Amino acid sequence: MVGAFDYAPAIVLLPFLSFLVALAGGKYLPKGGAFGGIAATAGSLVLSAWVFLTVSAGNAYNETLYTWVAGAGEETTRLTFGLLLDPLAAMMLLIVSLVALLVHVFSLGYMNDEGETGLPRYYAGLGLFTASMLGFVVADNLLMAFMFFELVGLCSYLLIGFWFRDSGPPSAAKKAFLVTRFGDYFFLVGVVAVFATFGTAKFAGEGAFPVIAEEALAGSAAEVTTFGFAPETWFTILGLLILGGVIGKSAQFPLHTWLPDAMEGPTPVSALIHAATMVAAGVYLVARMYGFYALSPTALGIIALVGGFTALFAATMGVVKREIKQVLAYSTISQYGYMMLGLGAGGYVAASFHLLTHAFFKALLFLGAGAVIIAMHHDEDMWNMGGLKERMPVTYYTFLSGSLALAGIVPFAGFWSKDEVLYEALVHGLGGSPLLLAGYAMGLVAVFFTGFYTFRMVFLTFHGEPRTEVARDPHGVRWNVKGPLVVLGILAATIGFVNMVPVQDLTGIHLEFLHDWLAHGELSALTAEHYGELLHDYAHYTSADVASYVAGAVSLALALAGAGLAHVLYNVPEPTEHTAKLGAVKDLWYNNYYQDEYQIWIATSVVLPLSRLADKFDQGVVDGVVNGVSSVSLFAGSRIRRIQTGVVSNYAALLTLGLTALLVVFGVLGGWFV
Amino acid sequence: MVPVQWYLLLATAVFCIGLFGILTRKNALLFLMSVELMLNAANINLVAFSAYWGNITGQTFSLFTMALAAAEVAVGIGIILVLYRNFDDVDVTLAKGMRW
Amino acid sequence: MTPLQTQLPTWTAVAPTLLLGLTALVLLLVDSIDPDSTRPGALAGIATLGSLATLAVAGWFLLAGTGQTGSGGAIELYGGSLVVDGLSLFFTVVVASVVAMVSLASYDYLRDRTYQAEFYSLVLLAATGMSLMGSSGSLATVFISLELASLPSYALVAFLKDNRGSVEAGLKYFLVGAVSSAVLTFGISLVYAATGSLLLADVASAVGSAGDLVGIAGVGIVMIAGGFAFKTASVPFHFWAPEAYEGAPAPISAFLSSASKAAGFAVAFRVFAVGFPLDAVVPMGIDWSLLFAILAVVTMTLGNFAAATQENVKRMLAYSSVGHAGYALIGLAALSGGGPNGNVMGASMAHLLVYGFMNTGAFLFIAMVEHWEVGRTFEDYNGLATRAPAACLAMTVFMFSLAGLPPFGGFLSKYALFYEAIQGGFWWLAAVGAINSALSLFYYSRVVKAMWIEDPTGEFDLGATPVGLYAAVMVAAVGTLLLLPAFGPVVETAQSAATALFA
Repeated sequence: MVGAFDYAPAIVLLPFLSFLVALAGGKYLPKGGAFGGIAATAGSLVLSAWVFLTVSAGNAYNETLYTWVAGAGEETTRLTFGLLLDPLAAMMLLIVSLVALLVHVFSLGYMNDEGETGLPRYYAGLGLFTASMLGFVVADNLLMAFMFFELVGLCSYLLIGFWFRDSGPPSAAKKAFLVTRFGDYFFLVGVVAVFATFGTAKFAGEGAFPVIAEEALAGSAAEVTTFGFAPETWFTILGLLILGGVIGKSAQFPLHTWLPDAMEGPTPVSALIHAATMVAAGVYLVARMYGFYALSPTALGIIALVGGFTALFAATMGVVKREIKQVLAYSTISQYGYMMLGLGAGGYVAASFHLLTHAFFKALLFLGAGAVIIAMHHDEDMWNMGGLKERMPVTYYTFLSGSLALAGIVPFAGFWSKDEVLYEALVHGLGGSPLLLAGYAMGLVAVFFTGFYTFRMVFLTFHGEPRTEVARDPHGVRWNVKGPLVVLGILAATIGFVNMVPVQDLTGIHLEFLHDWLAHGELSALTAEHYGELLHDYAHYTSADVASYVAGAVSLALALAGAGLAHVLYNVPEPTEHTAKLGAVKDLWYNNYYQDEYQIWIATSVVLPLSRLADKFDQGVVDGVVNGVSSVSLFAGSRIRRIQTGVVSNYAALLTLGLTALLVVFGVLGGWFV
Repeated sequence: MVPVQWYLLLATAVFCIGLFGILTRKNALLFLMSVELMLNAANINLVAFSAYWGNITGQTFSLFTMALAAAEVAVGIGIILVLYRNFDDVDVTLAKGMRW
Repeated sequence: MTPLQTQLPTWTAVAPTLLLGLTALVLLLVDSIDPDSTRPGALAGIATLGSLATLAVAGWFLLAGTGQTGSGGAIELYGGSLVVDGLSLFFTVVVASVVAMVSLASYDYLRDRTYQAEFYSLVLLAATGMSLMGSSGSLATVFISLELASLPSYALVAFLKDNRGSVEAGLKYFLVGAVSSAVLTFGISLVYAATGSLLLADVASAVGSAGDLVGIAGVGIVMIAGGFAFKTASVPFHFWAPEAYEGAPAPISAFLSSASKAAGFAVAFRVFAVGFPLDAVVPMGIDWSLLFAILAVVTMTLGNFAAATQENVKRMLAYSSVGHAGYALIGLAALSGGGPNGNVMGASMAHLLVYGFMNTGAFLFIAMVEHWEVGRTFEDYNGLATRAPAACLAMTVFMFSLAGLPPFGGFLSKYALFYEAIQGGFWWLAAVGAINSALSLFYYSRVVKAMWIEDPTGEFDLGATPVGLYAAVMVAAVGTLLLLPAFGPVVETAQSAATALFA
């Protein structure tokens, strides 16, 4: 029988087809190829839904479709493409294809109606972006995942730099590409190391690398090369190497700096990057190979700590930003911090849940911001807005729904998922892990800041009196903008109901559907149940007994306090800037803790020599090397050319110096004058 | 007879004086003269060691060097003339339109 | 086959060089018969024909085996001061082909300028010097031929007398060149002091027993290396190159960066391989191959890194030319006392031949763009392919070939060079070269991207097609392409010529 799984490759191929169509014939198509993209993503969505239904009937799919490098003999390493469709992948497919579809529709309003040029290029980019992310989601091995991971990075480069004639976007695109690629170097080393260690990079099934690793730790598998380390140590190293790629793509501290700059791209692209694709890829990768990470308490602890810290760190910076998209950018970093915290704290389901809810409410917020930006004639400064509530009610109420979800106000989606992440961190932390407790504490404080900056944004944008002429008479938006907003607004309000753990604990009614969804499955090594055992056996996670509704109440109170403070300060007809009261802290936050400055310093004086070393690993991936080395080298090149001062006397001096140095070095080396 | 090492020292000293000249002089003509000093340092060597080795190769070569130095000056003066026409000075540091 | 030199008098072995010099004199003669009228066609024609004749004769000699191991070895003239062998003929071929293309292209470039006859005769005199450089068997001829190549070049760079850029370039080239030639002369005098001879063969036999004078010999050898570094535009004597190539008339940039550089390598190959044999000088502590290895690494890195950030295409090419000097230096660096040194040096020679075509073509394309008055930066090239697709296609060939991409000549020559370096045990040189090549693809492809992918920023008003320039660019492109299938015989010839030096 031909089932959904036979059509699964089409989920990836359809958007790819739309990429080809837009690229080749976008010029001649109406709307610059938009309809092809919409049709393709709609097709992907339908197929994803079918896959979802098939998976929910208890099926799973894990097949190698194409072997592109096969060594001679039986035991050699094979490089393959394949599909892995389990509950996690099915859920992610739905998220990605739905958000991609909505973004395509929204783009009609944001790009076409605004008379942008270069639309075929835009839609081609969107198509390829969607296709690469979907390919990444269904990848059945680490190498394939890596390749699509890189494609995602490439597409983000192309799309962030879409307006390449302005000065900002190309440099933002370059930065996004460079920073994430820096992480990817570690990822690539990790992929090679995984191959070297296990001889395979498959995620699931017979002889998958998490399974071998588990056996190795249990002492029942022999053929693992650990290069002289104890298996635990080596697996931790592997996990951390791969984590490098995750930190880069998911914009975790300290590689988060590219993301705020990435706001230079078109807003629908920001929505796609932040909600469903690029940034989500990192977290998804950790979830995908969670069976491997669950073996290493050290790696988990680091993930949790990085996540918690990032959540707090980014939230504080979001407090002082002036541009609406900047606030959202920092909120994204912060929210992905929560997901990392959840994963590190052993909350596989909680983190996946947050990934799900965040995808919808963050896509909503970005598209809402896009609508506002259309209305404001592409002015993004919140201090020039105000009072938009009466003038664009649909946008306002959907945006409000997203904001409530982001701030974590009951009963909107974000409350349930964020609460569960924090709950996992708390119980496992109390169970004997001070690292997780630290992560929890930071995550909790970040809740307050989240509530504050979210509602500061809402109040400044929509409430009070209009502060500029444009805000008094904003540009209208059409159905193609409102439609996606409404769909996402409803989802943001309701999607949290799939997993209401605190309510279940209070009332005893069975409400944790997502837990059920992820806990079981045909591929038993990829289920939450199995992960729970691994966490208990290898990472030694134990749970303290804390009622989930208590933890939920605490974070809700903090979120309300933050929102309340924003209400007091900013929900007035003529809000003023209170940030000055923060004094030096404001400067620090406004300048993002001077992250960019120190990273440029690192890039020029530390990374450069390091990246030359890293080259040797990359000889096979010519593309990556060419781009990576070239871009990083531009820093060096701009310095080196300064030697050529233009003054001929300096040349004579340098020439003499060079000759003298050579004479001295060789004279001493050769012992000419002894 | 003066030992040949002294000629070597003299030649090196003259060469270094010439080098010092090109490093410190901005005037193109003085720059050229300094180069002439360096060439003549080579000539001192050639002639001195010609005597030392007992063949005339070095002496002959020093004649070539002088002739070529003259040719070089001829071309050099031409270039300095057009430099003066274009920049109204013979200061070599003025011509710095192309750099980096 | 009967060796050629038994059929012809021995002096005819330098016929290619003589033909170049003769053409220069004929040009002056034609001009002096009727100094008041300019006849660009006749002058360019004579120059092109003369260089083509040189090319033909040198090619014939090379194929016939004149001066090569198969037919009795190198031909020595004037007591060994001039040597005609595979190396000298090979580089004469390189120089003559570059001069032919440059003369052809200059027809359009010079159309409305005065002093055309002087221009062509200076080019041919410099070419004579370059051809002689490859034949120099004595340090005296080395110095004289080097100056014969340099002095006309200074004048040619400053040829556009009213153009500040050209004058500035000429000044810098001249001043750095004067200092370098002084350094070279002093180096020669020191080597003479240590060995008592200027003939390379005698120097080679005497240098090993320099005894107390090892320091003098060492300083002399390093200074001579410095003089050659100037000719080849290698660090630290490269400072003139970016400016001279940028400011000079573009055909002259092509001439200098291809032919002059090749000639610099020709003389360096002969002087160091013949005059300072490694197994004699290395035990004394004069390890010049290490010196060139350092220069190679620094030169290719500096050239490529600086090229990567340029905005001006011509200046980018200038720096890339410095970078290529670094690659070619591998031919002098990846040598060892006993190794198969001829292979890597031959690969370097073959690379210089391919480079002669692709780099000349690239600079002549720039000349064409200057002729059209399009502009100099990458942005100015945006969308140029919409107006001049054939020329842009040729430029694409040059760029990809320079970057070392298949299927162009530059790919094989660079590959052979790195391969031979690895065979000689110098894998790290090859690795640095490979990294630099990867970087170079970045800036070469910027040109291609600008021409083909970007939209034009304004209207191009190109005017009539410059026939000579077009033809020269096409010849260079076809040459670059043909050198891919023809690379086998080329590299074999070069390697046997280089092996003969070490024998």
